[in-house]
This record gives sequence, C-alpha cells and structure tokens, in this order.
Amino acid sequence: MSQIQERGSTHVYKVNRISKEEIDSMVALCVYEQPPFCNAACPLKLDTRAMLKAAAAGDFKKALQLYEKIAPFPLILSHGCEAPCEQKCRVCEVGEGIAIRDIEAAVARFGELSRLGGIFKTTKKQSVAIFGSGLFTLFLAGELEKKAYPITVFCAEADEEAYLRAAAPFLDEEAFSLELKRLRRKDIRFCFGSEIGPALYSEKRGDFNVLCASEAVARSLFPQAVCIPELMYCEEEDLVMGCGEGVMDAAFGAKKAALTVDRLAQKLDPRNTRGSEGACDSSLYTDLSEATALRRVERPAEGYSKEQAIQEAKRCIQCHCEECLKSCAFLKHYKKHPGLLGKEIYNNTQIIMGDHQLNKPMNSCSLCGQCSVICPNGFDMAHVCAVARRNMVSTDKMPLAPHEFALLDMLFSNGDAFLCRPQPGYETCKYVFFPGCQAIAIAPETVKAAYLDLCERLDGGVALMLGCCGAICDWAGRYEMEEQTREFLDREFAKLGDPIVIAGCPSCRKELSSHDGLELVGIWDILGQIGLPEGAAKLSRPVALHDSCGARGDAHTQAAIRALAEQLGCQLIDTPYSGDRSPCCGYGGLTAYANREVAAEMTDKCLERSDAPYISYCMACRDRFARQGRESRHILELVYGTDAGAPPDISQKRWNRLTLKNELLRDLWREEPKEMNLPYQLDYTDEARRMMDDRMILTDDVIGVLDGFRESGEAIFDSDSGLMIARRRIGNATFWVAFTREAEDHYLVHRAYSHRMNVVKGQG
Amino acid sequence: MAIERTYYTIDPQGKLQCVKCGVPLEKGKAKFMYLANGFPVELPVCPICGFVYVPEELALGKVASVERALEDK
Ligand code: SF4
Ligand code: SF4
Ligand code: SF4
Ligand SMILES: [Zn+2]
Repeated sequence: MSQIQERGSTHVYKVNRISKEEIDSMVALCVYEQPPFCNAACPLKLDTRAMLKAAAAGDFKKALQLYEKIAPFPLILSHGCEAPCEQKCRVCEVGEGIAIRDIEAAVARFGELSRLGGIFKTTKKQSVAIFGSGLFTLFLAGELEKKAYPITVFCAEADEEAYLRAAAPFLDEEAFSLELKRLRRKDIRFCFGSEIGPALYSEKRGDFNVLCASEAVARSLFPQAVCIPELMYCEEEDLVMGCGEGVMDAAFGAKKAALTVDRLAQKLDPRNTRGSEGACDSSLYTDLSEATALRRVERPAEGYSKEQAIQEAKRCIQCHCEECLKSCAFLKHYKKHPGLLGKEIYNNTQIIMGDHQLNKPMNSCSLCGQCSVICPNGFDMAHVCAVARRNMVSTDKMPLAPHEFALLDMLFSNGDAFLCRPQPGYETCKYVFFPGCQAIAIAPETVKAAYLDLCERLDGGVALMLGCCGAICDWAGRYEMEEQTREFLDREFAKLGDPIVIAGCPSCRKELSSHDGLELVGIWDILGQIGLPEGAAKLSRPVALHDSCGARGDAHTQAAIRALAEQLGCQLIDTPYSGDRSPCCGYGGLTAYANREVAAEMTDKCLERSDAPYISYCMACRDRFARQGRESRHILELVYGTDAGAPPDISQKRWNRLTLKNELLRDLWREEPKEMNLPYQLDYTDEARRMMDDRMILTDDVIGVLDGFRESGEAIFDSDSGLMIARRRIGNATFWVAFTREAEDHYLVHRAYSHRMNVVKGQG
Repeated sequence: MAIERTYYTIDPQGKLQCVKCGVPLEKGKAKFMYLANGFPVELPVCPICGFVYVPEELALGKVASVERALEDK
C-alpha cells in the first residue's frame, strides 16, 4: 500500500509562504481589541464600558474604583466634564445615547469611598513641589499622590477646606463634603498660608526634584513662560505648569503633567515614550440590533438615584465585536481575540527549535471561510491557517499524525479504489462524472444510480472517475502531494479526451477549478437542465437545507440546489446562517481528524439551527449530521430515490469504495476485478469494531497483522485475558491485535490498538 | 559512559508467553524510537526471539502522550 514519509526532526530549512507584513495587515483587520467608542472619545481614557457594566450590575463600589482610576476627585469631574463620550456612543445612531456623565455622577455619589491610601504605599524617592491652588493643582496633586510621590503643596489658603473651595466653588454642599473627606485622606503635605512669590520659589526650589505650578503662579513668576500644552511643561524654567480652562482641561492637563513629572523625576526627556494620550478613534464593530432600550431614563434635577442610574447603565450594549465567535465553533472553542490567535498561529510557524504549541489550533480550523463572510472587516482565518499549514510543511515541521489517516485514505481513493473508464461503447467522452471520494464511500448506491442516469440521458458519452479531487492534501497543507494529485488526475482526464467534468460535490468542484483548462459543471446544473429522473421523491416533512462550505461565495450553485429542492417539492425551512454564512459540518479542513472535539462542536453548531431533517449537497455533511443522530439526506439520495442509511464506519467506507468499483467493473465493463477474499475467516466482536472505528484502525490493518502472524507465528499469549496478541509495523505505525483462534483458519478479533513510536529490542 | 535513564519499566510476572518459542516473557531492555528520539525502557521481552510486547495501556497512555509532545517539537 502507498505510504507517506514521516518527517525527520533534524533538518531545518525555512520557506516563508506569507510575509510578516501580509499577516500583520490581515490580523489588523480584526477589531476585537479596539476600544468602545465612548472610551475612545474620553481624553482621560475611562474604561466606560466596564464602569457601565459594574453600574448596571449595581456594583457601585467597583464602578467607582474604575472611575477613580482616571478621576482623583470624581464628583468634581462628573460635575464639570463635557462628556465627549456621550456624542460618540453608538446607541445615538438608533436612539438616545447612554447618559454616561449622569451615571458617573451617581457612581461618584453612591459609591463607597475608597480605603485610606498612603499607609501601606511605598513612597517614591523623588519629591515634588506644587505651587498655587485651583483645579489643575488639585488634580495634579491627586494624580501624583496615586503615583506615590511625596508631594508638598504651597498655597495661600488657610486650610484644606479653603483650598478645595478655591478649586471647585461650584460643588453643592453634599458633594463638597464628600470631596473634602477624600482630599483629607490623601497623602499630601500642605504648607497653608504660604506667601507665593519669587522669594519662596527660590528658597524652596533646591529642596525638590520636580517643581510644578498653577498657571497663575507660573505666569506671575515668569511672565515670558511658554507652556508646551502636550507636556504641560515650560522648558526654559524647567517647570511643570497648568494651562487651559475648565474642568476637562484641568483634568486632562493634570494627567499629562503627571506623566511629565514621571519623566523628569527619572531625568528623561518628557517628550519620549508617552504612549497614546487623549481621545482617539475606534474602528470597533458593534451589532446595533442589540440596542433595544432606546430612550434615556429621565433625570431629576438632583441627578439619578441609584436605581435610575442602574436602569440607565443597563441600556449600554457593551460594544464589542464577537461576530465570528458567535458563528464559528472553532473560534468559540479557543475563545480569544481572533486576530491575536491568527498572529500566534503565524508565529508558531516561525519557531525553529522548541514546542509548536499552536499546532493544534492551526489544524482545528476547518478552512471553511465563514469568518471572512461574517466578519464586518473580512478577517479570513482560513487563509491564515491554510498558509500556516503550508509553511509548516515546507519547513518539515508539520506533524504527520493528525492528517495521516486522511492522506492515506486519499491515496487509497486514487490507488486501489481508483477507477477511470469511458462509458462502455465510447473511446472518449463528452462528460466525465466525478462523484467525489466521500459520496462513493458513504452512498455508493446513489453514485451508481446517478451514473447510470447520466449515461442514459446525456449525449456524447459519460465517463466515470472514482477518486479523490485532492482537497484532502490541500487542507493538510501538503502542496507537493496536491501537485502530484493534480497531474495524476489531469493525465486521466486526458485519456478520456478532456471531457467536461460533472462534479457531484461542491468541494470537489472548487478543488478541481484550480486545474488549467478543465471545464466544470455541478451535477445539480445538469439535473436542472435535463429534469429529475423517475422515482425522485421529497421527504414528507419540512426540511432544513445546509449549504456546503465548498459552495461559499458560489451563488450559482446555492441557487441551483434550491431550485432542485423546489422541483423535488421539498418544503424548505428558512434557517439563520444559510447561504454564504453557513458553518462547516466539521469535516472541512480535516478538523474531524485533527481535533474531534472541535469538529463535534461544529456539527452541533450546524444542527442547532433547526430541529428538522437536514438536506445537504456534500456527502461529508450528510455523514456527520447522521452520525450525530439527525435525520440527514444528501439531495442526490432524494433525486435518485435511494437511502444510504446509517453512516458507515471507517472500514466500511473503504469497503464501499472497493465494492462499487468492482461491481461496476463487472457489470458495465465486463472486467473481472481482483480477488478480495481472505484465505481465512476473520470476525470481530462488537467491541473490537467500535474500538477500531474510534482508534482509526482499519480492517486492512488488522488483516495485515494477522497475515504477518500466519507467516511468522510471532505473538504472545496473555494468560490473564486468554488472548493472543500479535503486532506488525505498517507504514508509520505499529498495530497490535488481540484475538482468539476459534478454529484452524478462523480468528475472532477482540481488541486492537496502535502507536507510532517504533519499539526495538534494547542494547545491552 | 553516560548513565542511561530508563523511562518506563514493566514486569511480565510470568503471565505472558511467547507463542512461537513457548517460553515466558521476561523483563528486558527495549527502546522506543520516534522522530529521531530514543527512549530506553524495560518491557516484557522474549528471551529467545526478542519479541517486545507493548501493552495496550502503555500504548494509549504514556506512549501516546510522548508522541504528541514530540510531534509538536
Ligand atoms: S468578526 Fe471576529 S475577526 Fe472580525 S473583527 Fe470581529 S472579532 Fe475580529
Ligand atoms: S453602548 Fe455602551 S459601550 Fe457602546 S458606545 Fe455607548 S456607552 Fe460605550
Ligand atoms: S472554521 Fe471556518 S469560520 Fe472558523 S475560523 Fe476557520 S475558516 Fe473561519
Ligand atoms: Zn519468542
């Protein structure tokens, strides 16, 4: 039998099949981590979404903690903030935007005061002096206290109360007393009643590492002072200073100034490494259909009550993009930022030495392309994973194990089970029917009926080709095998006189479309032209149509299938996620081989759309749905009045292919097929059958082991179980079979297992 | 000489017989090889013909997990 060379692990060479720039620009399409619009619009970068979430949950303590991160005096800020966030709130587009500032005010009023700061804080070594009073110095003192600088404020006021009153004269009594409490709890040293002027400034400047002043003080000391507004800094005088008007300017100014203090304290240029500051844009995608409460909660003059604030916060739809995660079971399974996952999968291919931890996710995507349709920005994980697999193959780092079974299956389809013949009576043909390897394995009777029908009703001769289109090696990233398969099939097509290929499967159609000069139609197109054969029958119940991922972006095929279903009289149920948005059944991309768990989740995802029987036009979908216990039929089964019945196991699939080939050879081409009989009797317990299907062990493998045993007599006998156990190395695996000898030439198989490691007798 | 660590050891305890040679299997040295890596182990081995027996639990347990780890190297 054909074999595939296991990779070596010593030689390393590298061919990059996608550039870093390409992958970066692809990954950048995903906006998962973009800030919500309100947050982007806030110059102070309040995590609005999180704050609103906490408020909606009634957790005002947490909401206040989030708010205090950007506002050392939250009542002052919420009073004077101009709330640029509110204009950017996406809910504005369908109704009234969230009243963010009013919620903040309620959070500031009703949230618990945070615990005493400063006691357990380790203070920094570099000290800071702040001269003057007013909002800017108050906020700056608050910001610097958070950063744990020892701060001394020199001001003319007599005490904290007067200092706060000077800064925020607009506060009502309740708010004032709360903020006063907050100010007194802060670890700030005050020199009240200071006479602020050049004398004090010269006297004190040597005692501190960084000096700051209110705008008024700075200007009185240095009338020529030029403030760089991005830094809140006067370079000539090495003085951090205020500039601007109003609460928002003061708050944002204090933020920038605090960063400048940080840089100066470390004796660094305040211009560098400041990160992103201020408001920015966001390209986050938001599904606005989630916004249902469109009117604001009315605000009484005194502001929201706690309950009202909760109600208003609940209207926030928590902007975030998870469109692809909602529809793709693979992305949902790994549940992380899809762009980042794509990046990690790419980076995985760049590892030369060490663990490739992303191999499994890379091989778990079904390459179905649904994400590229669902994602508002067209992020295409299929492309990332397909390229990554090819990269891994080209560097000889791709493990063979996850895909070997499928690849061997393909070699079998295009080897022992392959058949290519012109219609009897023809040398060359106008058409060749290419049903696809899955249809042959799962519904051989349907394939036969379809072929006979095409021969009868089409002019010019219809050849038959039983084989695999090469999608398997494409999915596995084995581009060299894909090329070989392409050449092989092209040679066979040439023998038939390069006929028009009638594809029975949309994935084959897609794969074969990469062949130069091949004319392709779907059997659904032909049936649309020549009409249904006799005996075609719909299901009596309404059915859900599952679009194959091989037909994504192929509106023509999707429409032709619907027309066919209509002709059959099927009553189609409309389901969400159909057409181009259809999810993959779990077979695509070889997910079913590389990650059974994810594949099963994909199947469930398909089936959750309806309780009705499923009609599909890809045999792999039909098979996976039936295996999951759903009534499932391929549309050709209805067309030809056949029923492929219960899904076959992996050995029956091979058997079906061989049997169909031999039957047709005998009946149509009068050729005597190769003898398939074993010279001994071999039976299996039910448990052995189940075990073999689960462990991907074929009857052919078991036969190989027993053939070997009959030749060499090598086996062991386990007196505990009473079983004989023989083994044989076949290809890249060692197969073990536990059996009993029922009679001279009759064996009953009880268990089977395999491993890929080779075991040899040890030295010494 | 480097000391070879033995990664796994299993004793047949007289319950296993070589069908061909008709003698009990004994604990003996063997080696697992995979993707250019080798692991010394002690497994039931026929003292005459050298048949090395890999029990099912070992194949599906330890061996399988080491295979996965090496495949992703
Ligand atoms: S749909 Fe998915 S991939 Fe696209 S932007 Fe949203 S999270 Fe990212
Ligand atoms: S809905 Fe919520 S998260 Fe989205 S922009 Fe409005 S306030 Fe921000
Ligand atoms: S399984 Fe399909 S929808 Fe999901 S990431 Fe892969 S290609 Fe995209
Ligand atoms: Zn022996």
